[in-house]
Amino acid sequence: MFKMKTPLAAGIAAAAAIAITAGCASTDSADGKVDYTKMSSAELAEYLIFETNSFRLDQPTQEGTTVRDRQVQDELQKVCSETRNRPSPEQAGKIIADARASVQYPEGGIQLGDWKKGRELAWSGFGFRVGHNVDDHSNRDVGGNCYNCHQMATDRVGGNIGPSLTGYGKTRGNNEATRKFVYEMIYNPHTYFPCTSMPRMGANGLLEEQAIADIMAYMLHPDSPVNQ
Amino acid sequence: MIRKLLVAIPLAAAMATTAHAEQTPTEVLKGLIDSVDSLYLTQSSQNLMMMDDNPALWTVDEGEELFHAPRGPNNVSMEACDFGKGPGELKGAVAEMPRYFADTNRVMDLESRIVHCMTSVQGFAADDPAVRQRHGSGSDMMKLQSYISAQSNGMAWNPPLKHPMEVAMRDAGEKLFYRRSGPLDFNCATCHGETGKRIRASVLPNVSVPQEWSKAISWPAFRVGHQNARSTQHRVRGCYWQMRHGQSIAGSDASIALISFWTDAARGQPAILPDMKR
Ligand code: HEC
Ligand code: HEC
Repeated sequence: MFKMKTPLAAGIAAAAAIAITAGCASTDSADGKVDYTKMSSAELAEYLIFETNSFRLDQPTQEGTTVRDRQVQDELQKVCSETRNRPSPEQAGKIIADARASVQYPEGGIQLGDWKKGRELAWSGFGFRVGHNVDDHSNRDVGGNCYNCHQMATDRVGGNIGPSLTGYGKTRGNNEATRKFVYEMIYNPHTYFPCTSMPRMGANGLLEEQAIADIMAYMLHPDSPVNQ
Repeated sequence: MIRKLLVAIPLAAAMATTAHAEQTPTEVLKGLIDSVDSLYLTQSSQNLMMMDDNPALWTVDEGEELFHAPRGPNNVSMEACDFGKGPGELKGAVAEMPRYFADTNRVMDLESRIVHCMTSVQGFAADDPAVRQRHGSGSDMMKLQSYISAQSNGMAWNPPLKHPMEVAMRDAGEKLFYRRSGPLDFNCATCHGETGKRIRASVLPNVSVPQEWSKAISWPAFRVGHQNARSTQHRVRGCYWQMRHGQSIAGSDASIALISFWTDAARGQPAILPDMKR
C-alpha cells in the first residue's frame, strides 16, 4: 500500500506539463473538465498539488531534484500524515525498523567535531529553501535548525517544539551510548520517536557527516556553552 | 504619524454599521485576549500599543479611493464587482470568503476575486502591472485588499460551506494542512498544532484554538518586520517557503483550498482587519 503512489501522482509529469503550456492554469481546474466534488478529499489534495499549477513544480532544488519530487510523499510521510503522527503499533514498528536500517555510521566511529562550528550550525536555519528566495548552498553552510525547536545554551533563545537540551552533555554524559543516541537522533529520529516532528537530518541528506559531528560536539563537549 | 491617527479613527468608526463592527481592530483584538488565555495573542504588547496607529489604516484609506475610482480600459470602478454579497456590497464579504462564485465556477479567495474583477470588469490585461504587482503597501492589490477586508472588521469568520465545491475545497485544504513532505518532513501542524509552542522566540498560533487562529488569519496585516501590509497569499507563500516544500502560487486552487480550511478553523471568532503583526 505504501509503496504505491496514487494513480493521480503517476500522471503528475504529464498533467503539469499541460497546465504550464495552458498558461493561466490556475483557472483551468474549474473549466468543467474535472469535478472536484467527485473526488475524496485526499485525492483532491493530491490533484491540487500536482495538476493545477498551484506550486512551481518544475523549480530545481538544492538536492538536484525538483519541487515535484519534494511534494511526492515517501512512506513515512504518508503514514504520519494519515495518522496525524499517531501511527498504530504495527505502523510504528515498521517506521522504527526502517529508520534503524536507514542510519549510516561514520567510518571511523562517531567522533565529536568542533563545538564552535556546531554552535553556528545549531543556530542556523539556512538551507533548502526554494521559491521566491532560493538558498544558495555554494556560499553558506546548511544549518541544523536546532534552535528553532530546542533551547540549547542559554545565551540564545530557542524554541520549544522539542524538549530543552540545555546541559545535555553534562546530564547524559559524553559517553559511547549517549553519542550513539544523539547521532541516531540527528540522523533519523524516527528510530526512537516514530512520527516525530524532528527532521531526518542525516537520512534526508540535510547535514553532512562533518556538520553532524560539529553539532554533536556542541551538544556534548564539556567546554561547549550548552554544558556550562 | 499623529495625523495618520487622526484620520484613522473616524475611518474605523465610519465603516461600522452593525453593533459588532463598531469596534476598532484594536478593540476586537482586546476582546479576543479577554476571551481566552493565550500567549500567542499577548506576545507583543508593543504591537498592541501601536495598533491604533497601524500604518495599514492608511492603506485602507488609499484602497477606498482606488476602489471607487473609474479605472482600466473600461473606465469603471470596482463597485460593479461582486464579492459574494452582491455588486459593491462589501460589508462582511471577506468574513465569508473563500466562497463559490457561479460566474467563474470556482471557489475564490479575496485576491483571486480582485484579479477577476480587475481583468473582467475593469478590463485590465492579466499582465498589466496594476494586476501583476501583488506585494507591498503601495500596490493596488494591497490597497484594494485592505479596504475591502476592513469592511469585515469585527465580524465573525463565516465561510459559507454550502456549495459542494466549497466543502470539497475546505476538506482538501485540511489534508494539505496535515500533509507532511519535503526534505524536513514538515506540515503546517508541525508549527501550528499545539498551544504555546515557539519557533525561537515567536509564539505560534494553534489551529485548534479559534481565538488564536482568528488573529493568525487576519490579513492584510501590517508586518512590522517587513514595514509593509501583507496579504493572506503572502503568508501562505512564506510558510511553504519556510517548510521547504516549494513555491505556492497565489490564486492557485491549492492555496485557496488551504485558505478555505484555515478560515473555517477560525469560524465564529471576529476578524481583526487590518491587523498588525511582528
Ligand atoms: C522541527 C522541530 C525540531 C528540530 C528542527 C530539531 N528537533 Fe530535536 N527534537 C524535536 C522533538 C519534537 C523531539 C522530541 C521527540 C519526540 O517526542 O518526537 C526532539 C528530540 C531531540 C533529542 C532527544 C532529546 C532527549 O530526550 O534525549 C535530541 C538529542 C535532539 N532532538 C537534538 C536535535 C538537534 C541536535 C537538532 C538540530 C540538528 C534538532 N534536534 C532539531 C524537534 C526538533
Ligand atoms: C517551521 C515552522 C512553521 C511551519 C512548518 C509553518 N509555519 Fe506558519 N508560522 C511560523 C512562524 C514562526 C510564524 C510567525 C510569523 C513569523 O515570524 O514569520 C508563522 C505564522 C503563520 C501565520 C500567521 C500568524 C502570525 O502571527 O503571523 C499563519 C496563518 C500560518 N503561519 C499558517 C501556516 C500554514 C498554513 C502552514 C503550512 C502551509 C504553516 N504556517 C507552516 C512557522 C511555521
